[in-house]
Amino acid sequence: MNIKILDSWLREYLKTGSTPEEIAKNLSLTSVSVERVERYGRDFVYDIEVTTNRADLMSVVGIAREASAILPRFDIKASFLSPEQKLPEIPAGKFPIDIKIDSSLVNRICALVMEVKVGSSPDYIKERLEGSGIRSLNNLIDITNYVMREIGHPTHVFDYDRLKTKNLVIRLSKKGERIVTLDKKERILGGGDIVADNGKGEIVDLLGVMGTLNSVVTSATKRILFFVDNNQESHIRKTSMGLGLRTEAAIINEKGVDPELAKDALLRGIELFLKNANGRIISPILDIYPSKKKKHKLSIPEKTINKIIGIKIPLKLSHEFLGRLGFNPVIKGPSIEVTVPSFRSNDVENKEDLVEEIARVYGYHLLPSAIPPLTKAKNYSLDRDEFAFEARAKNALKYWGFTEIYTPSMISEDLLDGPLGEAVTIANPLNQDLVYMRKSLIPSLLLATRENKTRESVKIFEIANVYRKNDPKLPKEILMLGALIKETGLSFYKVKGVVEQLFLDLGIKNSRFSERKEAGEGTDIYLNKDFAGAIEVLEDNLIDFELDFSLLLKYASRRKIYKPIPKFPPVIEDVRISTSAPYEQIVSVIKKHGRLVENVSLIDIYKDKKTFRITYRDPKKNLTTQDVSVDREKIYKALENNLHAQIG
Amino acid sequence: MEEELISVKNSAISFVIESQSLEDLEEIRLQFLGKNGQLSLLMKKIDKLPKEQKPEVGQLANEIKNAIKQALEDQRSKIKDQKSKVTKEKIDITAPGIKPSLGHLHLITQAIEEISSIFEHIGFKRVRYPEIEWDYYAFEALNFPKDHPARDDWETFFIAQKPDPEKGPAILTPHTSSGQIREMEKTAPPIRMLNIAKCYRRQSDISHGPMFHQFEGLVIDQDISITHLKGTLDYFVKSYFGGKRVSRIRPYHFQFTEPSFEVDITCGVCFGKGCRLCKGGWLELGGAGMVHPNVLKAGNIDSLKYSGFAFGWGVERVLMMKEGIEIDDLRMLYSSNLNFLEQF
Repeated sequence: MNIKILDSWLREYLKTGSTPEEIAKNLSLTSVSVERVERYGRDFVYDIEVTTNRADLMSVVGIAREASAILPRFDIKASFLSPEQKLPEIPAGKFPIDIKIDSSLVNRICALVMEVKVGSSPDYIKERLEGSGIRSLNNLIDITNYVMREIGHPTHVFDYDRLKTKNLVIRLSKKGERIVTLDKKERILGGGDIVADNGKGEIVDLLGVMGTLNSVVTSATKRILFFVDNNQESHIRKTSMGLGLRTEAAIINEKGVDPELAKDALLRGIELFLKNANGRIISPILDIYPSKKKKHKLSIPEKTINKIIGIKIPLKLSHEFLGRLGFNPVIKGPSIEVTVPSFRSNDVENKEDLVEEIARVYGYHLLPSAIPPLTKAKNYSLDRDEFAFEARAKNALKYWGFTEIYTPSMISEDLLDGPLGEAVTIANPLNQDLVYMRKSLIPSLLLATRENKTRESVKIFEIANVYRKNDPKLPKEILMLGALIKETGLSFYKVKGVVEQLFLDLGIKNSRFSERKEAGEGTDIYLNKDFAGAIEVLEDNLIDFELDFSLLLKYASRRKIYKPIPKFPPVIEDVRISTSAPYEQIVSVIKKHGRLVENVSLIDIYKDKKTFRITYRDPKKNLTTQDVSVDREKIYKALENNLHAQIG
Repeated sequence: MEEELISVKNSAISFVIESQSLEDLEEIRLQFLGKNGQLSLLMKKIDKLPKEQKPEVGQLANEIKNAIKQALEDQRSKIKDQKSKVTKEKIDITAPGIKPSLGHLHLITQAIEEISSIFEHIGFKRVRYPEIEWDYYAFEALNFPKDHPARDDWETFFIAQKPDPEKGPAILTPHTSSGQIREMEKTAPPIRMLNIAKCYRRQSDISHGPMFHQFEGLVIDQDISITHLKGTLDYFVKSYFGGKRVSRIRPYHFQFTEPSFEVDITCGVCFGKGCRLCKGGWLELGGAGMVHPNVLKAGNIDSLKYSGFAFGWGVERVLMMKEGIEIDDLRMLYSSNLNFLEQF
């Protein structure tokens, strides 16, 4: 969350000779990130990113305090001018409105009633608000915003006379209750929002987020109820996100504001109403404070500080830093004891939090750099390194002309294969394109192909997880390799060849191609008995394959086996065989009946005619014509008898 | 007689070797081996020699004749070879070659390989953990309070399945930090983990997509301090972005680290001077911090004995911050447009 504040405003609470650029740079290094500091008329504006744990810095006072703590570290004199509010004269009596709270919803409420005159704000207030990115409306609304930005606690004003009953019941909304917020929009509440009810069921405020139109101040307002409410932060976020109402107040309130600030905000507001709105106080101050936090003490040994930071930091220096940050430190022997200030109570809970305070003010930029020593190393096996095999497969495909794509894991109903109920489903999808976790990579590859439809030839692949339901356990994530080729003159064998070469390169030797179980042309692929994937012929020139890469990794191996190089020359013969029997059968017959057959390879295929190259070799001697012809006869006979083959 | 023969041989062979054309060679052949050639004339004289010398000189003469013939033959083919080379078409060395096929690895793959290899050189081991994860690993064990905004369904994707009674709802992990507890459950310290994985958040704009990649480093050992975190970050920044870029750490806030840091590097355009593209010379790289004692506790590691640091950064982010890859919309990386993919 970012806030913008003007330099002149900051300097109301920070006394220093430092330039805006120096303040910005040094705050960034040690505290909050000042993303920009720019000229703003005769002033400067700081644009500051405040982390969610530091709601105390969502204010001019907070930033001033922080700057005063860190600037001396850069040899820049600085002091914090703490806001001093004089308690105004308050009439005695009973508070005119009966406010009922629920302490699980509200931490504190400070309020009072004033007579006011509506008008416009003085120029300095307008300028400072506008510098902060807040539109100036009228003096009453401007004061609530001014106090919020200066003190850091959001505040609200009701038109006292428009509150028809003099009751406010703080309760949770019911689902379906309707309100009109002060931006004149009707909103239907989701239930569980903190609201103020006028005792008759009418909602007159959406606490901590935005006022409602029925109670807001108007140009006719004469009396106001000035209302500083400190609420349970989780409810605020739910309301704000649920209604899409990201107001400044909600953004601060949902971070958890220090309830101690509520009183400061009230007093500062009173001061400004008196000064800028002809204000007159007509009620006592109401202060309901059911959940005042206890002061939290912490102690940390010097040894711990040095161990975490990595260098020796004298205890005296830590004492100095923590003191300037408001922790009231006391050195006790080898340790330092602090009292966590209320505005840091959400954020500083343990020793490590204190080390952070010390280390950042010391300056991270002043710490040395070191590579952590390697104290022990575990055994490493390249043969079991699945990332190495993945890289190897990706590179192989790259050098075979494939281009890798990355597509979303979440898909629309259109891209989902099979029944919706079987898919891992996202309960709160971002949009209708991203609802299901994909079960296959192929639809994504097809979509990618369509996106490149002007290309005559497409060769793409992706390695990514697919997801399968596994209730009540986490869904299964299976790493898959999907590839797709679109090309004129493409054949099944070209794609099968890619799969075969990939297996060869990954050292996978137990693959088997079998008839598809599903409809469609192509082949199923098995490794041992495990289903490893399939090649699908989608159209004449469009073929894909998808492989279970996690299964491939199981069988992948870098093991190499040496075979002695043969001493005697082979006899090589080509033979043309015509039969309807498949390749695998032909080869097995040749190998079975040829005693001297070392290798059989297919060199040409035309319809039912296949040309094979047979290599004969005897490892122990030179082959004679007689040796080969004996084998040849047997092979030919077996082919003719068993496979009804014609030779030649 | 022998001497004469040998000198004829020497002069014949030297003529042959020096000859440049087939015509020259023919002339040399005639000069020595022709009917009235020098050798032929000498051979005629052999008849007139005493009987006992004849066989010996005759044999020598024959050998010389063969040697000259051989030399002529060798030279002839040599000249022919040269001739054929000269007459072949001249190669145009500027014309493109016939290329073997070459596809393209995705930029994210290339970045992941580079990041892995940088960290492997200082002992990090790459791991893989679930993308669909229990709330416990993604938030609860990482010290996120129950009502933390990241845990609600505006920021994180939930899976439509019953929550686990102990580990809470199943979600798409919004960060690789969910691997921290998984790693601690699996490995006793010392730990040096590099977890690179897909992450998911309910967001979509030019610098954020619903799916992205993070790389997470986790180091746990005795006496790990902020100086080690700084050293490791510096090493990565210099290795990945080059020696001219400088890193710094600033205070930040994360639930699972304490202290927490935001890591910046100097802008690749202005190198820290400040320009339109950066925040005063610096670009935000990502978060880091010292592992929170509650996280060590959840991982069953004694926080009095061990300490650690962790960082988790976007792969797309470091990629886009690299000089030369100034892609202005992160979602471009997930486009399947081959005109884009084939550039890398």
